[in-house]
Amino acid sequence: MRSLALALRLAPFLGRGNAADLRTAGLPVLAFGMVTALLLTVAGGSQVFWSWTDDIAVTYQALAVIAMVLLVIPLLTLGASAARLAARRRDDRLASLCLLGASGSTVVWLTVLESTALAAAGAVAGSLLYAAAAPFLGLIEFRGQAIGSHAWLSLPMVVACLAAVCILAAVSAALGLRKVVVSPLGVRTRQKAEGAHWMRGLVAAAVVGVGVALMGMLSAFGTFVVIIAVMAGCFGLALLALNLMGPWIVRLRARGQLKRATRPEQLLAARTVLESPKETWRQVGGVAMTSFVGVFVGMGLAIAEVMDASAADAETLLLVRDINTGVTITLLGSFLMVACSVGVNQASSVLDRAPMLVALDRLGVPRKLMAAARVKAVMSPLFLVAGISTASAALLVLPLTGMALLMRPLVLLALAGVFAAGFLLVRLAVAAGTSQIGQVLARPERYASVDS
Amino acid sequence: MNAILHAQQLSKHYPGSTALDAVDFTAGAGEAIAIVGPSGSGKSTLLHCLAGILRPDAGSVTFAGSAGSVRLEKLGDGELSKLRREHFGFVFQQGMLLPELTAVENVALALMLNGTARRAAETGAAEWLQALGLGGMEQRRLGELSGGQVQRVAIARAQVTGARVLFADEPTGALDSTTSAEVLDVLLGSAAANGRTVLIVTHDPQVAARCGRVVELRDGRIIADSALESAAKAGGPNA
Repeated sequence: MRSLALALRLAPFLGRGNAADLRTAGLPVLAFGMVTALLLTVAGGSQVFWSWTDDIAVTYQALAVIAMVLLVIPLLTLGASAARLAARRRDDRLASLCLLGASGSTVVWLTVLESTALAAAGAVAGSLLYAAAAPFLGLIEFRGQAIGSHAWLSLPMVVACLAAVCILAAVSAALGLRKVVVSPLGVRTRQKAEGAHWMRGLVAAAVVGVGVALMGMLSAFGTFVVIIAVMAGCFGLALLALNLMGPWIVRLRARGQLKRATRPEQLLAARTVLESPKETWRQVGGVAMTSFVGVFVGMGLAIAEVMDASAADAETLLLVRDINTGVTITLLGSFLMVACSVGVNQASSVLDRAPMLVALDRLGVPRKLMAAARVKAVMSPLFLVAGISTASAALLVLPLTGMALLMRPLVLLALAGVFAAGFLLVRLAVAAGTSQIGQVLARPERYASVDS
Repeated sequence: MNAILHAQQLSKHYPGSTALDAVDFTAGAGEAIAIVGPSGSGKSTLLHCLAGILRPDAGSVTFAGSAGSVRLEKLGDGELSKLRREHFGFVFQQGMLLPELTAVENVALALMLNGTARRAAETGAAEWLQALGLGGMEQRRLGELSGGQVQRVAIARAQVTGARVLFADEPTGALDSTTSAEVLDVLLGSAAANGRTVLIVTHDPQVAARCGRVVELRDGRIIADSALESAAKAGGPNA
């Protein structure tokens, strides 16, 4: 507790920063802001379903739970990513504190406090963004009526969401510190390249397998509520399994590419991925999530098409329209997270490597080559992870829908659209990152000494 | 002396300070030159201008390459980059090697950037590492090497392409005195054996003492040059 007290006393001093610190702190604040805004929007947009009490309300609630599971897990991943980013920003100060004799626990507390403070700032900004978006959210119609005031969450709900974001930041920051060695001479990542054990793949495959089996025997679960809970659980677990397996897949592919690399950019790209498969996964994992959601989008559209064609009653037709609205919103939210996640990770990675980029430029490494290596490191595993993610989602829904529905042209078209949009988003974010290389090299004095 | 680098009236200003003030400087082929002076005297700026990393505000730098003389200020960014890649080698204080690459890959990369195939590049790189006392450590990542070993990798990288001039900015600044002396032996020994010119920016008098020539800067001007002093002595009182 003495460490916490000391950290609390030191935090205000370390909180003071120059313009460059503010710039780098801006990234995690932005990411936390987006996480909070999306979290509140998802919660606000879906609470209308819980205000209904008639028979069909359960169907809406079930679909809402599935949509929330599909969105919340990628949101948590993005939140954890933002937290790691926040913790990495203050490396130099932590090293200085170590030099002055601060204990390890004081350094941990300071990092946690700073990350939480950044998360809190982002969360407040995110709730303002949500407040600005809520009137528009209220215009969305379900069952023929606008959501209206239901889009507004109660104050305790907003505070709970903000607290959840801050707790996520604190826990991630503490966990993130396990991966770095803080010494008086600086902060460095642990010497061995980050592993991504094959057990990850095995565990993930087992989880998906269990999920498929459970989905195949849904009718045995009796009540509708239990069935929905099992479905949501299966989808959630599959998403977590994808997160677990992703770095291992990315690493496996990079090892193959390293052996085959003949050009400098291929060598650099493969080694960059192998250095930290998890970091690469964070950049491409969003598209894996979106591809996963894309299968449900396609299925939603296909079910809507089938029901529409059967000319059901007015209530069913409304449900069909609402399913379309729901999947569109889910997909939009998913894409927003991908854009935010890749953008934040790219910007952070360029800033982290700025001194090295300056050094490479001085050695005469062409800027185009630095950019090409960066593009290759991200884009190369993208197709593979998106494919595996789609296959996992398809396997899960197959027992429910059958092959005929899954292979409908509309489903395939929706999937192709999701793939294309996801790849485009990531490519644009990578392009934004590579353009930052130019900005770093235009002002090298910020990152490396030239004036002695 | 065959001049390989020749600077005339080099000036470079930063907001509120003058880093170089009309500096004339010539480096001969095969020379080992220490550039010394207090912090802010313009040492690194001079090194960076000579290497084509910084563009001076005024003056010129001429590099006498194997294919003829080149005026650095007339080259575009891409051409300067190519010149540095093909004809110059660099050793920085922190090594500035890529941490994700192995030792041999770091050295081979310099060759691959100039178009050498990967297998041949790694063979050439391994030979250099062997020659600099790092045999058996080729596949180690930088985190698994000591500070002195990392600097040896940087020295191998700087020379593997056959660079004619090596620029070293405080190459031993982060090392203890014993390791510093060893690294300097490797740098100066290998450069001399291959007839390369070495320019070393340093604060350390012991490093400067190991070089054949010492140039001292203060406030952006050269205030002492041991080569000129020797020439003056050799010429006698009336020289």
